[in-house]
Amino acid sequence: MVEQLPRLPSGVEGLDEVLGGGFIEGASYIVQGRPGAGKTILSNQIAFAQASAGRRVLYVTLLAETHDRLFQSLSTLAFFDKAMLGDVIRYVSVFQSLRDDGLDAVVKLIREETQRQEATLLVFDGLLNARDRADTDLDIKTFIAGIQSQAAFVGCTVLFLASSGSAQDSRPEHTMVDGVLDLSDEVVGVRSYRQLLVRKSRGSGSLGGQHEFEITDQGVTLYPRLEAKYARPSRDEVPSRKRLGTGIAGLDQAIGGGLPAGSVTILVGPPGSGKTSFGLNFLNLASKKDNALHFGFYETPARLTLKAEALGLDFSKKRIGRDLHILWNPLTENNLDKLAYQLLAAVHEHKVKRLLIDGVAGFERAAVHKTRLIEFFSALTNELRALNVTTILTWESQDHTVNENSDPFPEISSILDNLITIREVHRQGRVQRLLSILKIRDSAFQQRSYEFFFTKNGSAAIDATYASSPVSSS
Amino acid sequence: MALIAVVDDEFLLADLLAGLLVGEGHEVMTAPHGRAALQIIRDRKPALVITDFMMPLMTGLELAQALRADSELEDIPVILVSGAQGTSARESHPELFAAIFDKPYDRKALLKTVADLLDGP
Repeated sequence: MVEQLPRLPSGVEGLDEVLGGGFIEGASYIVQGRPGAGKTILSNQIAFAQASAGRRVLYVTLLAETHDRLFQSLSTLAFFDKAMLGDVIRYVSVFQSLRDDGLDAVVKLIREETQRQEATLLVFDGLLNARDRADTDLDIKTFIAGIQSQAAFVGCTVLFLASSGSAQDSRPEHTMVDGVLDLSDEVVGVRSYRQLLVRKSRGSGSLGGQHEFEITDQGVTLYPRLEAKYARPSRDEVPSRKRLGTGIAGLDQAIGGGLPAGSVTILVGPPGSGKTSFGLNFLNLASKKDNALHFGFYETPARLTLKAEALGLDFSKKRIGRDLHILWNPLTENNLDKLAYQLLAAVHEHKVKRLLIDGVAGFERAAVHKTRLIEFFSALTNELRALNVTTILTWESQDHTVNENSDPFPEISSILDNLITIREVHRQGRVQRLLSILKIRDSAFQQRSYEFFFTKNGSAAIDATYASSPVSSS
Repeated sequence: MALIAVVDDEFLLADLLAGLLVGEGHEVMTAPHGRAALQIIRDRKPALVITDFMMPLMTGLELAQALRADSELEDIPVILVSGAQGTSARESHPELFAAIFDKPYDRKALLKTVADLLDGP
């Protein structure tokens, strides 16, 4: 049997998952990054989480910055609690001991103080200064060994904070510790992103690669890369033969009774072709048991409600927040993984079974690295299938006259179950919408086109007679 | 003028306060924590101790308690200068300290208290 080591929960959302369950008790870690990368906030957040859980923390600094200034800046963060200072969390400076007596004296002092404080977490802020004081690499290794050996003996977890010029810094002392965490910034275009990388993780599986994080007044929130966290869905998919109505008159019959439950549909069409309207009809069939979610980037909830009502759908106040839910993220600076976690959280919270994502571009714009998108959407849609959510993703095409039988998105089509396109054709002086069914999972259907239109009362329908008449794409 | 012990693990703060007191004509000795302070206080019997609270090996509170427990040192007045423990020290141990200042403190007010304590009643 594989032994599981006892863990110290970090209190930082997302970090324990990246670390494979939290820090290992009694292990030591280097947290490195350039000044301003977030090392101090991260380690203090962990310290206060430990203190809140009734454990004791020793925070040792080797820095010129005074503790007052530190407390002042920490006081703007939600986790900071002045009442814990001096007792359950103790901040001490060993600058003078280092200057006057050297590294050995600091080790001795920290050992004694760790025991005095009965600390189960020791944060040592200023490894760079210790390094400067060391004459050789061996000295700094001896220093780290001196602190961590005793800490491990008394079951105290150690975080060594180190400023580094470049996050790529690999140092000899990295061989000494059980884990190395890199905090860094990446500037892409005009935006900058904070990210965390677990460079080393002994005795523990971790989620590899970079994970974005934010610093808000809540402290650090980490968003593990979705495709790493959900490399496999959280549960097994239970395939069913159930179908969910689309709300589009005539369409369900054409596709074998509705969209397969737990399937992912991509709805492609140019702007103004009726993709959102299609989706609103689908959401409108929500029930108390099967809630619906509109996860969008364009219309505000108020405008969306107006739009739905213009289509004769009931998006009244008595439904919103009950069986219909709207989550709007303006298409501004978004974080790709955060969007996915918001989406999944809403799906769980409201037991969503009908989901409209309007649209794919909202995720695409948020992606720093576009090459991730296929893996990202694979992970997201696999999870949605496993949660038995029937999803429609809208995809805006630039081309108003998509060739009806070609598959326009070879890469993304591997992650979808159903593909429906809407295009516009000019016919006898009128613009008409043609809805084409290109793929429906596990279904006998005719790959053909229908006229897609709105009836006088606004509701959407398709007309099966259309396909037999000749079409002239303009 | 008098001999004053300044006890603070934060070197910069100890140094600043020492400079301030030297400017007033006092002689100052500093210590980075309570234990080192207790040693030099025993050796040289200063007229006044100004101490931080949160320090390694021996806190300002423990230092004050040690002084009060020592018949030779019990009369030395102690001023506590603390970033976070001022309030709790005022509530829990008012008898240990001649005065308590919260960091960052008003220099003039601190110097006045120092002068008053040294002049004695």
